[in-house]
Amino acid sequence: MRFFNRTDSVVSLAALALLAAVPLLTSDNYVLGILITAICYAIWAGSWDLLSGLTGRENFGHSLFIGAGAYAAAYLNTAYGIDLGWGIVVAPLVSGTLGALIGLPTLRLQGPYFALATLVASAIAHTLCLLLWRVTGGEEGLSGILPMAGSQSDYYYLVLTIGFVSIAAMKLFALSDAGLVLRAIGSDEAICRAAAIDVDAYKITTFAFSAAFAGLGGALFAGYQLTAAPDLLSSGLSITIVVMAYVGGMGTIYGPAVAALFLALIVEYLRGFGEYRLLVYGLILLVVVRLTRHGFVDPFWRWLKGRLA
Amino acid sequence: MAEILLYGAASSASYALMAVGFTLVFGVARVLNLAHGAFYACGAYAMYGFCAAFGAAPAIAVLAAIAVLAAVGAIVNRFFVEPLRARPMAVLMSTLALSIVAEQTLLITFGSQSRNIPLILDGPVSLLGVRIGAQGLLLIAVAIVVIGALWLFLHKAKLGKAIYATSQDPVGAQLVGIRTSTVFAVVFAVSAAMAALSAAIVGPMQTVSPEMGLMPMIKAFSVVIVGGLGSIGGSIAAALLLGYSETIVSYLVSTEWAQIVSLVAVFVTLVVRPSGLFGK
Repeated sequence: MRFFNRTDSVVSLAALALLAAVPLLTSDNYVLGILITAICYAIWAGSWDLLSGLTGRENFGHSLFIGAGAYAAAYLNTAYGIDLGWGIVVAPLVSGTLGALIGLPTLRLQGPYFALATLVASAIAHTLCLLLWRVTGGEEGLSGILPMAGSQSDYYYLVLTIGFVSIAAMKLFALSDAGLVLRAIGSDEAICRAAAIDVDAYKITTFAFSAAFAGLGGALFAGYQLTAAPDLLSSGLSITIVVMAYVGGMGTIYGPAVAALFLALIVEYLRGFGEYRLLVYGLILLVVVRLTRHGFVDPFWRWLKGRLA
Repeated sequence: MAEILLYGAASSASYALMAVGFTLVFGVARVLNLAHGAFYACGAYAMYGFCAAFGAAPAIAVLAAIAVLAAVGAIVNRFFVEPLRARPMAVLMSTLALSIVAEQTLLITFGSQSRNIPLILDGPVSLLGVRIGAQGLLLIAVAIVVIGALWLFLHKAKLGKAIYATSQDPVGAQLVGIRTSTVFAVVFAVSAAMAALSAAIVGPMQTVSPEMGLMPMIKAFSVVIVGGLGSIGGSIAAALLLGYSETIVSYLVSTEWAQIVSLVAVFVTLVVRPSGLFGK
């Protein structure tokens, strides 16, 4: 395929192999758990970038779709005993539909207005989740999901496979003609309309895809934690994802995903310093916004490739 | 009825104090300041500090907290907003980062347990057959006086007129010799000072904790969006609208459901009329 860069492909497969080898080196469930969490963050950050990085419409309510996916899978399992595997299939459909529904009225908003509308949409969902505690379990969330895989390492391989395929699929989408159109929409929407591009259809479809992958990650995460908690709908999570995307370099898909993977790993290891976690994110964001326009990961990789070639 | 009238006025007053400062910054400097809630929390903690450390009288501590936050506002503008002015989303992210850092610093310094700050006016008063805290009445009075004074300042004073001119056209203002960087600094200082004032009066009636700025900022957001970003008159009207509808919903349904009223109002406004009810 024309857009496959050989170095990129080799390095990403090597990274996959490295991650796949972890369960062979350690049987420590704690390590695997941290990696599962980190891969979920990578899916979330990559899916955020799919819409927001390409079109420049910054979504500050991504947690809405993550939470919707997690709660959909958890609800099916705890209320009807439907296997988590089906939950992982249904979750992206639920989140994707929500994405299209919310995208329909909000995507014509510009800049800060879109950011605020999505932030508020997720705040409404979070508040409703707490108010409708009879269904959602309120602060406690929905717990008691039946695990899907026999062992942690089986589940880890499932998450790793789905995560890698999702991020690769999103990257290919970004490199495709559709991705090019989305970038064009990001640069100048009016010109795209003048060129007879159905801007609204592109944006709404992409929002649905972005939301669907977020929901998929949400369901995977709920399947690991065996709970869907209201934290997954909180604006704190949305903001964390935006920070990760900024650090990774917006519009590159792999940049936010790699940044998310590393930041989540670092932060999980810093859990002992629990209260400093958000402070670290805040300081990183302050520095990144001030010093760089394209984050750290993508410029670093370009520099490295330049040195290797 | 009288209860709804008074309590609605009190919550409208607190929304208006936050929202007018917030919208002033947007209207003049074209900056969505996500650190506005952090200004609120820092204002409350500044007052706590002056009362606890120096044993200052509440009224003195309020003035000191306002002065401190005015300085903080100008500093934030100088170092975290001004250098990024050309990139609106970067300003948004920068102020967001700043608010996270401020909140976490308060959390680490003071811990998560809530603190108390003293009331300026103690004791209940009977008015229209309703018993209401004197502090609540003070809040209503302060909001009217401060916002009225701000309006006079913007329309009559020389610096106020310069601010007004900058909000209409920054380049044009520079051409007639207005130093816009000073204008932006003043606007940020006034906005932060109003957040501190609001926190110092509302804080004692609720609790003081590091994350206390979030809800007032969401409310300020709501008011400003519904009223129209950048419009002070719109903010006052929307503050009354939201303040009263929340009070009515909490009387008729429950206080929990009142929380969602302003969120839904914002979403509907953003979707139907992003420029707000009174925006341009």
